[in-house]
Amino acid sequence: MLAMRHISKVFRTDLIETHALRDFSLEVAEGEFVAVTGPSGSGKTTFLNVAGLLEGFDTGTYHLDGVDTNGLSDDARSRLRNEKIGFIFQSFNLIPDLDIFDNVDVPLRYRRMKAAERRERITSALDLVGLASRAHHLPSQLSGGQQQRVAIARAIAGDPKFLLADEPTGNLDSLMARQVMDLLEQINEMGTTIVLVTHDPELARRAQRNVQVIDGQVSDFRPYEPHAQPATFAAAAAG
Amino acid sequence: MITQDIRPILSALLRNRTGAVLVALQVAIALAVLVNAVYIVKQRVDKIGRPTGVDIGNIIVIDTIGFGAGYDHMATVRDDLGWLRSQPGVRAATVVSQIPLSGSGSSNRLFKTPEAKGEGVPMNYFLLDDSGVDALGVKLAAGRKFRQEEILPEDPTFNQPVPSMIVTRALAKSLFGTDNAIGKVAYDALGRPVTVTGVIEHMQGSWVDWDKLDHVGLLPRQPSGPNATYLVRTEAGRRNAISKLAEEHLSASNARRVVQHVRPLDYYRNRSYQSDRNIAIFLVAVTALLACVTALGIFALATFNVNVRTRQIGTRRAVGARKVDVVRYFMVENWLITTGGVLLGAALALGVGYSLSRAYELPRLDLYYLVGGVVALWALGQAAAWQPARRAARIAPSVATRTV
Repeated sequence: MLAMRHISKVFRTDLIETHALRDFSLEVAEGEFVAVTGPSGSGKTTFLNVAGLLEGFDTGTYHLDGVDTNGLSDDARSRLRNEKIGFIFQSFNLIPDLDIFDNVDVPLRYRRMKAAERRERITSALDLVGLASRAHHLPSQLSGGQQQRVAIARAIAGDPKFLLADEPTGNLDSLMARQVMDLLEQINEMGTTIVLVTHDPELARRAQRNVQVIDGQVSDFRPYEPHAQPATFAAAAAG
Repeated sequence: MITQDIRPILSALLRNRTGAVLVALQVAIALAVLVNAVYIVKQRVDKIGRPTGVDIGNIIVIDTIGFGAGYDHMATVRDDLGWLRSQPGVRAATVVSQIPLSGSGSSNRLFKTPEAKGEGVPMNYFLLDDSGVDALGVKLAAGRKFRQEEILPEDPTFNQPVPSMIVTRALAKSLFGTDNAIGKVAYDALGRPVTVTGVIEHMQGSWVDWDKLDHVGLLPRQPSGPNATYLVRTEAGRRNAISKLAEEHLSASNARRVVQHVRPLDYYRNRSYQSDRNIAIFLVAVTALLACVTALGIFALATFNVNVRTRQIGTRRAVGARKVDVVRYFMVENWLITTGGVLLGAALALGVGYSLSRAYELPRLDLYYLVGGVVALWALGQAAAWQPARRAARIAPSVATRTV
């Protein structure tokens, strides 16, 4: 699903060079749930940005679901993000002026989907996260945990192969955090690959595999042992 | 594609509408002012540009006055015209009672019958000699010019009858219902007849704001002294040189006469239209200023929206928006705001236009101007939003993962 080999990423200013990733290699198989952990400043966010095609890299190769991302145009990267990746952000990143339905609709609109198909996918995604009855509420009318569930619905509505979660429980209390993690596990069991970036070892323990990043390099990882048959979210929702 | 974007953008706008409503109001006011101002300016420009019927670019007006007991008006005029007509480059010269287009003139009323029934037809008249038609450069449509022998002597009482006249087509039509007026007779208020001997195509008279500006009659009489005003028509390109020469000669040739002014005829026309020109310039300036302020308002709102939505734009980019999608979002949003403004502005423009037409007896606002104004404000709005929209598109998708 995700294959990074010898990736390096350097941030340069007039005075200093910061090696955010150096010789970074990581493979994530389809259906896997991987937690990427590391201390602050270790390069987790840079990894997240590169993995999510939000930023480029300087050297190395990165294949996402078999697509070589090197040299892709900005439009092609946008399309790949839209079709292959679902993002879950620490601060939810919902659009405050749009209701829940329209928030979940945002990535689907960029995919040029027909209205009827979009409506069906949004309803299914909101059903899965238990918020179908709140479709016409604004984000500000929901709790933090509910907002993050909306963000998860937005991430899975397009049926991506790969979910990238950035500290998804960082702004939630422990009960809501547990609910969100339960939901992510449920989605992973349906076959969606999940990479969870976190500094919280408790959360990381719920993933199948932990990868530790220190000074921009992978310092340790455990072998992957699949525990569920891959299946798409749409198939599960339809079934 | 764009219609698909409209609903969520509109619903987001309606939830956060203060800035958008203020800018839409600004657009509405701008449209109402713009459309009516442009319409008024166009009317003024058309008014100033009306054909005068005279050879406006080649006529010199020489204004003189005699003084003292030894001043012989008739002899002075005869000598002056003799000298002026003999100058190379002078096509014709006449003495005239009033200066066309100057705002100063004389009028009386003519009637179809000697009983002087009804209101009569107003006529702005000019006393001049047998060179009058040539000196004005008016085009004779029918009949003949005055003959030297039919020019009457000066009449200090202003009450002696004139047996013949040359009239404009417009005056002939008002008097007789036809411009085929040669030989037809009209009557003054005292029932004295005057026969039409010539019809000229067109000529504007003295008062540019008068709705009968083209009701002009030329009468064959020497104007009274001691003022003598000459119209001198020159060949093209000779006006300035002959003006200088005439001023020098006339100032020196008669010690009992003063040359008051030597000016081109278009000086008087420009002076008469000064207020129209000032209004047009003022309205153009106000309109341009308003358009600039409106564009700045749109630009400021779009810039503000981009600044407060940096994270949102990054998120949109992260979940799949291309740069062009971000540009389109802001352009559509701006178009919706501008459209709200122009819809309100169109109603306002029609209302203002209606009020102006009632208050100042102006023609009703032409709808083409409204359509043009709407298109202009749409274009202005899109141009003003373009730079902020482009800036929004440059926001990196990685902004979505920043926690600060």
